[in-house]
Amino acid sequence: MRPLTEDESKAVFTKLANYIGKNLVHLIDRPDESYCFRLQKDRVYYVSESSMRLGISVARPNLVSLGTCFGKFSKSGKFKLHITALDYVAQYAKYKIWIKPNGEMPFLYGNHVVKAHLGRITEDTPEHQGVVVFSMNDIPLGFGVTARSTVDTRKLDPTAIIVFHQADVGEYLRDEDTLF
Amino acid sequence: MDVSNILASHAAKYQSVTVEKETPLEVDPGLLLVTDLNPIEEETYNENLEEHLQSLARDGVQALMASLFKLPTKQSPDGPLAVLPPPVFQLPRAKPLPKPKPPTKWEKFAAAKGIQHKVREKKVWDEEKQDWVNRWGRNGKNREVEDQWIHEVPANADVDYDPRKVARDERKGRIAKNEKRHQQNLARAANPRQQRKEEIEKTLAVTRTSTASMGKFDKRLDGEKKLRGVKRKFDPTETPIEHENKASLNLLAKMESDSKKMMRKPNTEESDLNVRKAVSFASKGRGGVALGRSLSRGGRGRGGGRGGKGRR
Repeated sequence: MRPLTEDESKAVFTKLANYIGKNLVHLIDRPDESYCFRLQKDRVYYVSESSMRLGISVARPNLVSLGTCFGKFSKSGKFKLHITALDYVAQYAKYKIWIKPNGEMPFLYGNHVVKAHLGRITEDTPEHQGVVVFSMNDIPLGFGVTARSTVDTRKLDPTAIIVFHQADVGEYLRDEDTLF
Repeated sequence: MDVSNILASHAAKYQSVTVEKETPLEVDPGLLLVTDLNPIEEETYNENLEEHLQSLARDGVQALMASLFKLPTKQSPDGPLAVLPPPVFQLPRAKPLPKPKPPTKWEKFAAAKGIQHKVREKKVWDEEKQDWVNRWGRNGKNREVEDQWIHEVPANADVDYDPRKVARDERKGRIAKNEKRHQQNLARAANPRQQRKEEIEKTLAVTRTSTASMGKFDKRLDGEKKLRGVKRKFDPTETPIEHENKASLNLLAKMESDSKKMMRKPNTEESDLNVRKAVSFASKGRGGVALGRSLSRGGRGRGGGRGGKGRR
């Protein structure tokens, strides 16, 4: 376990900022307890200071997980956001999309969101913007990247993809052994 | 009453506070150092080594303590403190002296001709501005000619004579020339044998990792050293969290300002003309700078013809 280097922090922050924008400050500067980002075996964890200090006493090979896993660094140094970060991402999300009940299952099986399943979408969402996907009763299901801006989606046919799938809560079952 | 008995027993219990030696001990209170220059007494040394060493150490410490109590004192909340004099003993240097840099060609020439080195100040006085300005660098004096608002053009100059460009080229030429000289000086100073050795080591390191297993399953040769890569250094895990958060927030601010710099300023004026679009249309997508250049040249720009290379 170690703090992130500047390059790593940059990679993590840019990825998070794609979804939550300036709200990222609220993750770093919290009024309740101080939290920090820690790297343990290529995974990035978002940990409270107290549990981080407890975790220090565990040797690196023995430490399986701590805090909330936000994602992992690939071998080429890119940062991939995991579904476990959804709680925080959904809380501060800037752009949201709600999908109809008949679109929930296809999304939870890892498919992209098509226009037919679109319930609501935040106004003036730009193209290629990170969005959080909600069900119609406001339960976060995952996140993705918009294929078109809100204005452009109106002209599309119902089978056209509007949000590219990135992560969904179905991964808790599908990738149980590698996720945390 | 005879007290000599008691005195004798007392004296036996406590050794004298003054240390008497053939050669007096050298005490340097500045370094808290005592040097005993007396030759070792062979008899006591062979008899009981521990005792001998202990007595030697005791004498030394006693001498040091005695010298400390003679020093002037200073009052402090924790009691009196002795003020140590500056050290006398010259401690040897830990690292060897740095090697002098090999002289450059100019330095050699200057030494041969007896030219003294003059330090040029970085700032020079500007009469017009009535201020000290940089000789070079930011708002440097060496760019004065380029930046002035009016230029003298020689009578026999060409039609497309640009005095600004001429001055700039001259300055850039001086920089390039100096850089070239710098490289030549480095090449002259380099030891060819050492250079070759480094080159071979680098090649060897590359070849050792150039197998399918990145050199993991290769046969080790005798005297082959382990490859040493770049040592990475990370922050300690246990720093105060406030520092870390501050660094993160700074990084965020930096990232934000970077992205702002990348973005163009939005058109705040209320007008029907989209300036950005108009510029990109007029310059055929090459941007405002290219457009300005081609306009100032008063003719078609470099890529104005749109012909020649490339697919149609």
